[in-house]
Amino acid sequence: MRKAGETFKFELIFMPVMSRNTRYWLFQFGGWGLFALINIFFAFSFDKLNKVDDRIFFFTRLGIFVFMGILITHLMRSIIIGLNFLQQKLEKQLLYFILVTLVFALLISFINIEMLIRFSDKSFLRNVDLLSDNEKKVLRNPENSYFSNKLLVVLSGAFYFFIYFFIWNLIYFTYHFITKSQKQQLDTLKLEALVKELELKTIKAHINPHFIFNSLNGIRALIDEDPSRARNSITELSNILRSSMQTDKLESVSLEKELNIVKDYLALENMRFEDRLRVEYEIDEDTLDQPVPPMMLQTLVENAIKHGISKQIMGGKIKIVSDFKENYHELAVQNTGKLVNGTAKGEGFGLPSTLNRLSLLYGEKARFSIKQVTAEIVEARVLRPLQFSI
Amino acid sequence: MRAIIIDDERLARTELRKLLQDFPEVEVIDEAANADEGINKIDSLQPDLVFLDIQMPGKTGFDMLAQLERAPHVIFTTAYDEYALKAFEVNALDYLLKPIEPKRLADAMQKLHVAETKENHIIPENFNQSILTEADQVFVKDGERCWFVKLSDIRLFESVGNYAKVFFATNKPLILKSLNALEERLDPKTFFRANRKHIVNLRMIEKIEPYFNGGLLLELKGGEKIEVSRRQTVKFKEMMSL
Repeated sequence: MRKAGETFKFELIFMPVMSRNTRYWLFQFGGWGLFALINIFFAFSFDKLNKVDDRIFFFTRLGIFVFMGILITHLMRSIIIGLNFLQQKLEKQLLYFILVTLVFALLISFINIEMLIRFSDKSFLRNVDLLSDNEKKVLRNPENSYFSNKLLVVLSGAFYFFIYFFIWNLIYFTYHFITKSQKQQLDTLKLEALVKELELKTIKAHINPHFIFNSLNGIRALIDEDPSRARNSITELSNILRSSMQTDKLESVSLEKELNIVKDYLALENMRFEDRLRVEYEIDEDTLDQPVPPMMLQTLVENAIKHGISKQIMGGKIKIVSDFKENYHELAVQNTGKLVNGTAKGEGFGLPSTLNRLSLLYGEKARFSIKQVTAEIVEARVLRPLQFSI
Repeated sequence: MRAIIIDDERLARTELRKLLQDFPEVEVIDEAANADEGINKIDSLQPDLVFLDIQMPGKTGFDMLAQLERAPHVIFTTAYDEYALKAFEVNALDYLLKPIEPKRLADAMQKLHVAETKENHIIPENFNQSILTEADQVFVKDGERCWFVKLSDIRLFESVGNYAKVFFATNKPLILKSLNALEERLDPKTFFRANRKHIVNLRMIEKIEPYFNGGLLLELKGGEKIEVSRRQTVKFKEMMSL
């Protein structure tokens, strides 16, 4: 829906220097590096690094831990991205977040213990046992089976992993949550500005001042000639003015409502053109509750009058068609007349605004065309994808 | 004063007729619903005043005026058309915005009276309808710009292919008329065919100098220098000596 250029602008705001990936790795190494440093600092302060064996024990364990930490959190990230967690609702995000942390904590704790046991047997570590005293005690407790001993160690390890992964995920999700909401804020602001601009433009564009003043002039003449008709016309004109001011705030109205405005509009034009304007409707009743962009049909009909009927000395016919065509709702306005230059390019605000609104609302899925269908008839046609209620 | 209303909307014509009832000096003799009808009725009825809508099917009010030999007094009536209003704000007689305010209509009629009485002092009743006199005005449309021009303000007509370039004030718009056709319609007492390509307004001559081959060179008030052919020089001298 948004143009590529605009997305790009947002990217620029949020990622001024680095790409998304560079920043991720910076966070990743920075975080784990900090974790390692803190551990070294405490080990050092508690005099745990005095003996060579202790040092080997400590650094190997830390190394394995950090290495696995980075590997696993990276794997976790690919899963988060792959399964699109960030796109979910907030409650779901929280649930997935806890679940993933838990599963990974258990898994990693298991792999961790397995690795430690294995590495303990390796000769290049000078037969230093990598298991802590507590772990050894539990693992080699003769009262239980080896399997249940191991389970206990894995569970206790998982508890620590859970805490670390929880912190990692907390940072990850919070970071994304903040960037996303910042982006949303900007998006909303931009959208609001756009809507404002459109509102202003559309109010002016939807009701052509020429039409308003000509109608008023006609009504003034009718006051003597046909007072009840004059009263009706005033009602019709007020309806059009009111709806054109209200509907700009709505995203869509039912076709029935839109048709009512169009009928009022055409009644007024009929007052002006009299027998030079004939109107025909070909409306499939079932399409009446279809949602349509407000004032869109109206703009098309107005165009048909302005560029079609009003240019014909003998006047002509306007036909409005609403029907279902496969998965589309078809709206068409036909009028007597000739299409200038084959295309109605840049003629005022009417057509460009229609195109603009259609692409804003339906993206590539809606279609608009205006063409000479017979020597005498021009047709403007909108195909709108059917929306099923959610 | 005999007037015609040209507007494509019947109700608009009715409304204007009604408003004009307050001005007994204006008699609405006919109506027209489009430009072509308007041209016919103006030609046959020779009204003193035309109320003219600008946006009409087929041809605009401007296009219609540009087709007329002689522009009558025109009061434009239009609903809303910035573009069109700009086109003639320079020197249109007047324009009224629909729905017409009675006060504005009264002002326009007043202006018209002033213009009429001034003219009646200068020239007697026009006895030959087909000849345009100095006091007559033409409507000139060149692209998007329009002018009402009094013939007495025109210095020179210059032939450019099928068109004629009209020189007045600082403007030189083109009109789709041949020089020969113009010569037939212009008053020979004022407008003189100097050569194949030029018709000059005799009252706009500033200097006369002898030229090669017994011809003359006229310098007009706008600074244009026009050669008078040998054959026409004889005629010119005859006219001037009278």
